[in-house]
Amino acid sequence: MPRHTRRETAVLAAPLVLFLLAILGFPVILSVVYGLSETTFQTLRSPSFTGLDNFSRVIADDRFWQAAWFSLRFGVITAVLQCALGLFLAVYLAPLIARHGWTVAVLIMPMVVAPAMMGLMYRLSLHEFAGPIPHYMWQWFGWSPAFLNARNVFATVVVAETLQWTPFAFLLLLAAYQTLPRDVAEAARVDGTRPWRLFWKIELPLLMPTLWIALFIRFIDGFRVFDNIYTLVGSGPGGITTSMSIYIYEAFLRQGDIGRALAAAILLFGAAFTLLSLAQRLGRRRRAA
Amino acid sequence: MKLHSVLRWAVFAVAAFVMNFPILATLVTALKPPGEVTRNPSLWIESPTLENFAIVLTVSDRLNIYAYLFNSLTAALIGAILPILLCFPVAWALARRGTGRAVLFPLVVNLRALPLIIFAIPLYIMYATLGLLDTRVGLGLILAVVNLPLAFLLIVNAIQAIPLELEEAARMDGARLPRILRRVVLPLCRPAFLTTFIFGFITAWNEFLFGLMLTTQKAVPVTVGASFFFATSGGGVQWGVAAAVMIVAALPPLVLGVVMYRRIGGSMLGGAVKG
Amino acid sequence: MGTVELDGVGKSFGEVEVLRDIRLDIAEGEFCVLVGPSGCGKSTLLRLIAGLEEVSAGRIRIAGRDVTALESYDRGLSMVFQSYALYPHMSVRENIAFALETARLPRAEVARKVAEAARMLRLEPLLDRRPSDLSGGQRQRVAIGRSIVREPAAFLFDEPLSNLDASLRAETRIELAALHRKLGTTMIYVTHDQVEAMTLADRIVVLNAGRIEQVGPPADLYERPATEFVATFLGAPSMNLVRGAAAEAEGAETLGIRPEHLRADPSGPWTGTVAHVEYLGVDTIGYVDVGEIGRLALRLPGRAPMVPGETLTLGYDPGTLHRFRAGLRIG
Repeated sequence: MPRHTRRETAVLAAPLVLFLLAILGFPVILSVVYGLSETTFQTLRSPSFTGLDNFSRVIADDRFWQAAWFSLRFGVITAVLQCALGLFLAVYLAPLIARHGWTVAVLIMPMVVAPAMMGLMYRLSLHEFAGPIPHYMWQWFGWSPAFLNARNVFATVVVAETLQWTPFAFLLLLAAYQTLPRDVAEAARVDGTRPWRLFWKIELPLLMPTLWIALFIRFIDGFRVFDNIYTLVGSGPGGITTSMSIYIYEAFLRQGDIGRALAAAILLFGAAFTLLSLAQRLGRRRRAA
Repeated sequence: MKLHSVLRWAVFAVAAFVMNFPILATLVTALKPPGEVTRNPSLWIESPTLENFAIVLTVSDRLNIYAYLFNSLTAALIGAILPILLCFPVAWALARRGTGRAVLFPLVVNLRALPLIIFAIPLYIMYATLGLLDTRVGLGLILAVVNLPLAFLLIVNAIQAIPLELEEAARMDGARLPRILRRVVLPLCRPAFLTTFIFGFITAWNEFLFGLMLTTQKAVPVTVGASFFFATSGGGVQWGVAAAVMIVAALPPLVLGVVMYRRIGGSMLGGAVKG
Repeated sequence: MGTVELDGVGKSFGEVEVLRDIRLDIAEGEFCVLVGPSGCGKSTLLRLIAGLEEVSAGRIRIAGRDVTALESYDRGLSMVFQSYALYPHMSVRENIAFALETARLPRAEVARKVAEAARMLRLEPLLDRRPSDLSGGQRQRVAIGRSIVREPAAFLFDEPLSNLDASLRAETRIELAALHRKLGTTMIYVTHDQVEAMTLADRIVVLNAGRIEQVGPPADLYERPATEFVATFLGAPSMNLVRGAAAEAEGAETLGIRPEHLRADPSGPWTGTVAHVEYLGVDTIGYVDVGEIGRLALRLPGRAPMVPGETLTLGYDPGTLHRFRAGLRIG
């Protein structure tokens, strides 16, 4: 590349690169410094170096591992549920949507509401005195579960997350379904293929790449969940809905243990990074194959 | 044939009702007078009223919804527009010259997958030093980071879709790079900018964690403000007012999303497939 | 002054050498057609002249000035692309005016030149439309209009007719020739269509595998092809090539004879069976299998009484033969 072209390219890349360095580069350095130090809000300017102490405290903390286990379970279960439901809705409703496009707008409404607001809305809906759901449970079945007690709260947050984000999987799969080559389906139909067989043998395999992407994105978002759980139940009874994000948040703002919070964040970053490069390597191999 | 059509409508109705139930329940609650909420928690409103909305939309000691809305609007605008400005030039360099294909592009796109809390704490410390804590600009800047991955992807896709011959024609017409970018590439990227903006605005408006951690009083966005209100009203529960606050807070992205749903669907596929 | 001189121009993409040592002087006002099979490097050569690609070797001079190191926007050329590359977000008027505005011409002058080009190309009623509202032929005229307003040192055309249907192509060909007569500007025109090459060119440059096979006026190339490649590339059906004893008898390694120079002649040397007949109206093409010589094509005027399966003896006038040795013309 000639010299003036290189200079041009540098100018073009400069805004983004400088922005990233300023707003992420500096915090990364801070993370490492504070992650290796003992700090509270009172001693924010003068961290005292303690080496890997924070990390060993995190690793020794049972609640950290509980949070990790919660996030992992939550991410996997909600991703699978959302993608299964989303796939069903996309494929089954596709003929309806082809004629009445507005139905999509109704179905995606949950995902454009802030998850934090959605958490509060569920709190209202499930409230034992003000919520319509317990009201109808009592009226129809003469009984209503305590949705937010230790036994039920996991299922409750899973359902809430699933119902809010199924539209995402639905929309992604619908877009992919609508771009499937029509002639393949038509050729199969002319060849006498039944709808059910058409779906399993032809459409589903063609949708698989998008389905994997949807699963991956939904898992990521489930794994890092914070807003809706936080506003619905906080860390839950006995801390059983403490996700990784909530664990770090509480260590930081509730307990003021900046070192431990950062050490946990760095560990989380490492885990996420490893997972990500693994997923990408897998994706690349799939594409190459 | 007929039966399937009826079944499809039924499935649609059930899915729409179940998934949107909390929104519906909140709206219903917001339209009930204070006395009715706990007496009649059903979806039927005995005496509909706009009283709760009137309370919410009136400035009081306890609640100034306009301040929250203004904070959200400012931060969301910064968070939605800044990524477009930052990404456009480098996206062109990436699409046409391969700049940043090895490091910058994967780095930015992978930000999408990282838990935001990782950035929140060091940013809190940095903002505390720089005086950006509890400011709309500070909040807007980090929301811009949240929106960078999708903005980068969508704009790179848009530029790659522009035939190279158009830029070559402009070169033959005597135009240098700045003029080519301004007069040829930029106008053709407008639809992508609009999509990026809508997505970015909804995401930024709905963001909660950074608002919770990086603001305390002056720059609190409406998502966090609504939750404050909810928490403090826990004792003397004012469900109707709380519900009205939530409806007001949820309305802007909801309207934007419903109006622009076509754009959202198509671009999600574009954004996801390359990522 | 619109001369274009190529002095030892070469181009490689990585390890692949696309063009090697191209030497060509194009005169002021000449209509020069670069022709060759796909992949021969003709479009690359045009893009090198345009400055859209950098040369790997050699120099390029335009109007006597060495432009090898200059960007395309400083070379003073204009180009019509195969896809026309009209700016989709601008009206026809804005498309045509873009180059003039880029050059910061006064507004009145821009308007005058746009009006003039529009009149010449019958684009006046279309000036406020967008390219997407135009037919293929109209887009083509806009692309030409966009390039003529710049008053360039030379026009470059990259297969400009290949997106038009057959009848429009013939019509546009004639308009292009008329335009060249009117403007008198140097034109460099790339095509793979030999009819365009034959009808438009003052001089044809036949390219093959990155090298120039022959340069000359259409008639020269058709009547005295310098190589076997040129002999078979121009003309349809292609020139018949005969090797072996029959060629040696005429003192050549390969003997070439055009289909129209073969005739049914009972005293002729080649006897064979008619395999296939194509009646085209003006003439009739017959394909005759002649033993070890192979299949020969002959063109007879009008509706010739040939039927498949019939035995035919072919003869020729020795003056019409082309003789080649090692792929090159002898004599």
